[in-house]
Amino acid sequence: MLASSCEKKLDQVPISSATTPTFYAQPSDFIQAVNAAYNSLRGYPDRLMELSEVRSDNIYPSNNDVGRDHDPINNFSPGIAPNVYVEEGWRSDYSGIFKANTVLEQLAKNAGFVGSTILANRLAAEAKFLRAFFYFDLVKYYGKVPVVDHTVSAAEANTIPRSSVAEVYALIISDLQFAIANLPLNFSGAYPYYGPTDIGRATKYAAEATLALVYMTRSGPTYGIEGAGMGLNEWNLALPLLQDIITNGGFVFNPAQYAFPVPATGIFSYSNQNPSTNKEAIFDVLYLTQANSGLGATYPWALVPQDFFNTYGNPSTSGALGAPSVSSNLVNSYPAGDKRLSPTIHTTQYGSSLYPFFRKYLDTTKVPSTNSRFDWAINFIVIRYTDILMLKAECILHGAPGTQADVDAIVNQVRARAGLTPVANVTLAQLFDERRREFAGEGSRWFDLQRSGNLVTIMNAWRAVEDAALHKMNPIIEKQIIYPVPQSQLDAAPGLYTQNLGY
Amino acid sequence: MKKTKLLFLALLVLLPTLLFAQQRQVKGKVNDETGAGIPDANVSLKGTAITVKTDGGGNFTITIPEGTKSVQLVISHVSYPEQTINVSGNEVSVTLQRVSQQMDEVVVIGYGTQKRRNVTGAVSSFDARKLEERPVLRVDQALVGQMAGVRVKQTTGTPGKGFSIQVRGSGSISGGNEPLYVIDGFPLTQNSSNTATGSFSTGNPLDNINPSDIESIEVLKDAAAAAIYGSRGANGVVIITTKHGQSGKAKISFNVYGGFNETAKKLEMMNGQQWIDHATEVINATYVTQFKTVGALATDDMATRLSRTGGNNPNYIPDPRWTMPGHPGLRFIDWQDEIERKGQIQNYEISASGGNDAVRYFLSANYGYQQGFVIKTDYKSYSLRANVEINASKKLKFGINIAPTYSISQDPGVEGKDQIFHQALSLAPVQEDTVGLLPNTGKNFEYLWSSSTNSPYGKLIYNVGTNKRYRTLGTFFGELQIIKGLSLKSSVNFDNVDNIGTTYVPYITTGRAQQVMNASGVVTAGPSNTRIFTGANNLLSATSGTYRSYRRQTFVNENTLTYNTVFKNDHSITLLAGYAYNWDRFDQAALTSSGGYNSATIQTLNAAAAVTGNTTSTQSVFISYFGRLQYGYKDKYLLLASLRRDGSSRFGVNDQFALFPAVSLGWVASEEDFMKNISVLSHLKLRVSYGESGNDNLGNDYASLATIGNANYVFGSTPATGIGQAPNVLANPDLKWEKSKTYDFGLDFGILKNRITGSFDYYNKLNTDLLLNVQVPAATGFTSYLSNIGSVRNIGQELEITSRNTVGKIQWITSVNVTHNTNKIEALAPGQNQIIIPNGFTVSDAILRVGAPINSIYVLKVLGFLTAKDIADNVPRYGPGEQPGDFKFQDINGDGTITEADKQIVGHPNPDWTYGITNTVRYKGFDLSVLVQGQAGGSIFSQFGRSITRPGQGRSDNHPASFVNRWYSETNQGEGRFSKAFSTFNTPITSATDWLYSSDYIRVRNITLGYNLRNVIKTKVLQNARVYVTLENYIGHDKYTNGLNPEATNTGISTNAAYPEAGDYGAMPLSKSLIFGLNITF
Repeated sequence: MLASSCEKKLDQVPISSATTPTFYAQPSDFIQAVNAAYNSLRGYPDRLMELSEVRSDNIYPSNNDVGRDHDPINNFSPGIAPNVYVEEGWRSDYSGIFKANTVLEQLAKNAGFVGSTILANRLAAEAKFLRAFFYFDLVKYYGKVPVVDHTVSAAEANTIPRSSVAEVYALIISDLQFAIANLPLNFSGAYPYYGPTDIGRATKYAAEATLALVYMTRSGPTYGIEGAGMGLNEWNLALPLLQDIITNGGFVFNPAQYAFPVPATGIFSYSNQNPSTNKEAIFDVLYLTQANSGLGATYPWALVPQDFFNTYGNPSTSGALGAPSVSSNLVNSYPAGDKRLSPTIHTTQYGSSLYPFFRKYLDTTKVPSTNSRFDWAINFIVIRYTDILMLKAECILHGAPGTQADVDAIVNQVRARAGLTPVANVTLAQLFDERRREFAGEGSRWFDLQRSGNLVTIMNAWRAVEDAALHKMNPIIEKQIIYPVPQSQLDAAPGLYTQNLGY
Repeated sequence: MKKTKLLFLALLVLLPTLLFAQQRQVKGKVNDETGAGIPDANVSLKGTAITVKTDGGGNFTITIPEGTKSVQLVISHVSYPEQTINVSGNEVSVTLQRVSQQMDEVVVIGYGTQKRRNVTGAVSSFDARKLEERPVLRVDQALVGQMAGVRVKQTTGTPGKGFSIQVRGSGSISGGNEPLYVIDGFPLTQNSSNTATGSFSTGNPLDNINPSDIESIEVLKDAAAAAIYGSRGANGVVIITTKHGQSGKAKISFNVYGGFNETAKKLEMMNGQQWIDHATEVINATYVTQFKTVGALATDDMATRLSRTGGNNPNYIPDPRWTMPGHPGLRFIDWQDEIERKGQIQNYEISASGGNDAVRYFLSANYGYQQGFVIKTDYKSYSLRANVEINASKKLKFGINIAPTYSISQDPGVEGKDQIFHQALSLAPVQEDTVGLLPNTGKNFEYLWSSSTNSPYGKLIYNVGTNKRYRTLGTFFGELQIIKGLSLKSSVNFDNVDNIGTTYVPYITTGRAQQVMNASGVVTAGPSNTRIFTGANNLLSATSGTYRSYRRQTFVNENTLTYNTVFKNDHSITLLAGYAYNWDRFDQAALTSSGGYNSATIQTLNAAAAVTGNTTSTQSVFISYFGRLQYGYKDKYLLLASLRRDGSSRFGVNDQFALFPAVSLGWVASEEDFMKNISVLSHLKLRVSYGESGNDNLGNDYASLATIGNANYVFGSTPATGIGQAPNVLANPDLKWEKSKTYDFGLDFGILKNRITGSFDYYNKLNTDLLLNVQVPAATGFTSYLSNIGSVRNIGQELEITSRNTVGKIQWITSVNVTHNTNKIEALAPGQNQIIIPNGFTVSDAILRVGAPINSIYVLKVLGFLTAKDIADNVPRYGPGEQPGDFKFQDINGDGTITEADKQIVGHPNPDWTYGITNTVRYKGFDLSVLVQGQAGGSIFSQFGRSITRPGQGRSDNHPASFVNRWYSETNQGEGRFSKAFSTFNTPITSATDWLYSSDYIRVRNITLGYNLRNVIKTKVLQNARVYVTLENYIGHDKYTNGLNPEATNTGISTNAAYPEAGDYGAMPLSKSLIFGLNITF
């Protein structure tokens, strides 16, 4: 008797932390659960730098950059399955998916505690937007991935193989369609809709933009691999979504002149960070610099050499970084008078080094002091209005409704802002070249190359010239358009996942 | 039979008359080895019922009846083996010897005792009376080198800090490897959080325990012995028994000692001139490399350099004073000498014990003070103890043990990475004369050619780190004899530790006051001086303070029923059944100043600009049922079997309970008739055992549950933290104990009438179900979860021998213990062959690999130095930055380049051999004891060595003096250990055998010479008066040539708590001490 009553005491509940069975009991708990899923966006820009920008013809493996983790990404080594950036993408996106799944599960399980159906729908839409966003990220980098639409135990995960790309897209599209139907339009509503303190959450337009890009990515060529391109022709599915954003979204093409330093009203200005005033931003990853908050941005220095910081008297607190150099091909692609070059790429000597690097997100008056280079206060624009316009032009050139004049107008609007003369009869190739200069350093180049259908040709032609002297790069093959399944995943469940061909 | 009884009765009746008429008296004294009288010894006349007891001074008088032909006296005492002597005269002196391996010694085995003769498990004993004779500050210190299979590591030289104990190797990767400590039957909470940094940051179970209160220590080593402690026995069990009063006259003891301690090792660093030579070489090479295009030469003078470099950079321009005679304005400093001292040690103790049939008591009070050999560090301890036993009736006994203790230690942060000691070694030995020992402190600038380190001396003077610990251990027990042989014992035990740690760092020892060189080479104040008050920047904002406290509470209730019987004379049986309830709680609070202080004089946090704080608590419950059978036939054939069922709240709901069985057999072969003829062999026992025990020591009370943790994000038009919360671990409802299965084969022997006694053990210990973070598919949302997987095997041999080399006037005893242990990972997760332990400071240097020892050292192998020919031949290199004079590494995978994939296992951290040898010699009143102890076969990969000798380190830091013998050219490669001074191969720095050292050492741990003054002072009052002098740790040798303590652990190297790797990144050396002491007993 005494013993059995004592044995009940073996069921101890943590004193200083909640657990899954005890936590979800109030509306605020579910909001916090969704917030946690947003947290997995924090590494998204860094990943774009390391896995898209570094992989593309925008970055060249310079002489000054040896043994860094991005080096094998940069030079197309086949043995990159254990690479930290390859590992990070898979891990981080699935962490976000798990948190989104947790929200959806708890909303279903504890519906009575959420308070209102409106809030429950909004939170479900946010969770589904994020889940789709993370799966889209995965499918772009790795191709086939296991689809989990609920939280799974270790044992269950060991039984779920990689699904086909089509199956992954099926979940992405259905999630985004739910999100478009249920997400608030903007941040001027009253609880449980979005108010000003909710800026940073996904809106209907963020979901539309994502879905449009999903359709366009699916419409890209397959390259004979199981990657993100499926060779579908869904340009006409993408266009109405883009048009809705342009017509009804209230976003504005920012005419602010490019200059360096960046003008206060510029798109990437530190003083134009509020998404409610920076009308170029459709969806942002938000950062906050504050002592020890741990919420500052790290991506601005990801591709910036240590020597540069040393010239600002703020050396690294944890080891030095090499310099992944911006390719001379990109630097030279800017025509004379292009106002974008200077604020995008640093080309002059710093210390004793002269390796060009991206400075789009750097403001040298804002080098963080408290946490060294790891705590920048600049948001990352995931989807910007200029991109929506240029995607629209791309759809039209692929045969979606619209005219060449529409396309030329969009491209010339961008060119005018860069101080360049207008052009006529813009082709897809010209459009992609303009995209390269406009979005340099923003992480879209690798995916643009994929969609263009000319990735392998362009990359190898570029390598032949850029790498003629140093011979640091391997030839680029179709199979390496997607990354390998990270080694940790192959190790965690031996035999469950098959490695992508080419690795 | 009847006849003798009648005769005996008759004798008794007649005795008084006989006594009166023809009695003869024998007077005598019973001494111990030190010559001190032994009270309460029984002296009986063999073959009669005549028995007397010795008095407080060990004296007795016994009456011998007339007609007794040969007088034989039998002297017996509970603590000594029985001795029979022949008496011819009327005076006799008997010396009883307590030898630790004596067969009749009583051994505490957990919930009971056993005679050493009958022990069937692997149990080592330590006679703690030695603790009185030697000045030890901690119990664990006394155990160094004493027992086979028990490795006691002194991981730190900081006074008052705990030692790390490992019994029979490391069996756990992520859980704790420290044994369970049981004090007077009270199992103390194990603390496994030590494993990350190896520094017992939340306390060690032996903290504040006064060594002088201890009577004996037993270590249960094999699973058969330890299995009675079930799920906590896998790392061995250390059973500590404190002193208890004996019936008889009160015995009052004073123990006083005092002396000093100083560093046992000094690492010679480059002196001022050597540092200048090195800095000049680096500056010249940097200058020439950087400006060779404009024709820079190492011989360029300052003006040329200024013009070529655009002026003002100390990287290119040496201090002109370096070459001036007497280097005016500069001071050469040996930082080690400046921060070290001879610290004083003093200790005072009084104890009283005694009692009668109803009450027995032992009371003690102790005050100890030890100054560290690093200035401003010290340790004070106060402890009291009362052990009282009361016989309420013949069948009912009560007892209480209570020990309140308090200790204060001062340590402003001496050990660890970038802590004071590390900085004292690294900081340039050349500084501006005007600031002396306090560069970059207060208003003082840093020396332009030195580094931005704040003076380590200044930190010792101005920074504060205080730790105050109040601990009370209490046990109350009752014992009822229900019927003869059957007794019930119940105890309630409570351990409460309150610890408060405070730190204070004033602004004067933080930040920088830079110097710069202007274009004409003149050194002036720099732009950044964080310590100059300008009105805008409040200098107090750099001041910081913390207040951290924890309370650890353990409550244990144990109830045991013991039945003891002998039937048909030959069959002895002891049965035990028990139930235990164990409750643990840990509460901690931390307050930290934020935004600096408002006052420069107040150090408490009320003066902080703002305070942030938090509190956390954890709690666990543990329930056990256990039973044991001991059976002996004619004391010849022995059996012990035990079974324990443990339930713990720490484990998954599916696995809360587990069974831990054990059985051991013993055969006292020397009792067999056929062995009795072998006169050389006086005792031989063979033992064999198998048992299973567990390890629940994983440092987290809720590891099986999916706890919710923060995952914040930023929202809002004014960006603000949006609290995000999500599960931060993957739940594992099947989580359970690590299991240890041990086979042990043992042999106990006594040769030449037990002049030489000893034991040998072979063990094979397989730890399975290790708590490991197993990789899981990220589709779970996690990369790993805590699971029971993988196994580690330890195989070892242990030998303990005690030899009484000479008896009689000169008594010389030698005790030797030797242990050999091999450790091997048998399995990790299925399909997993290795885990490379992530390193927080550089690339990884350790690996968990199937087939290799735990935490094997996994680095690149240095073959030598690259030559110009090597570069021309394109030999494999670690990147193109490597040039002649840089390291040449082994390309183990033969791919023509050196990468992290070329790492190999080059050593393991645990030694293969450990040994201890104690020699004790007694002659007349003198006693001399020498303890030599050491280890061999292990290695240390030194992060600290890396920090002071890595290539391309630049001009400012200091290096070991042996760095003078670095590589200078292909024809002058120095001693072959250090590469060239100036190297552009400075990033990335890999881990290589360059920082691998053997951890072998041999130390004369203790030399004590004592003399008993009773030979000089003849008084009856004084039972014992011994003076002694002790040299602790005075002589020693190790192979850690660029470090200070080969056993040091002070910094968490691993960034993954699941694979802890504690290493040396700035250890203090151990101390050596010279101490004089006095023991007086009345």
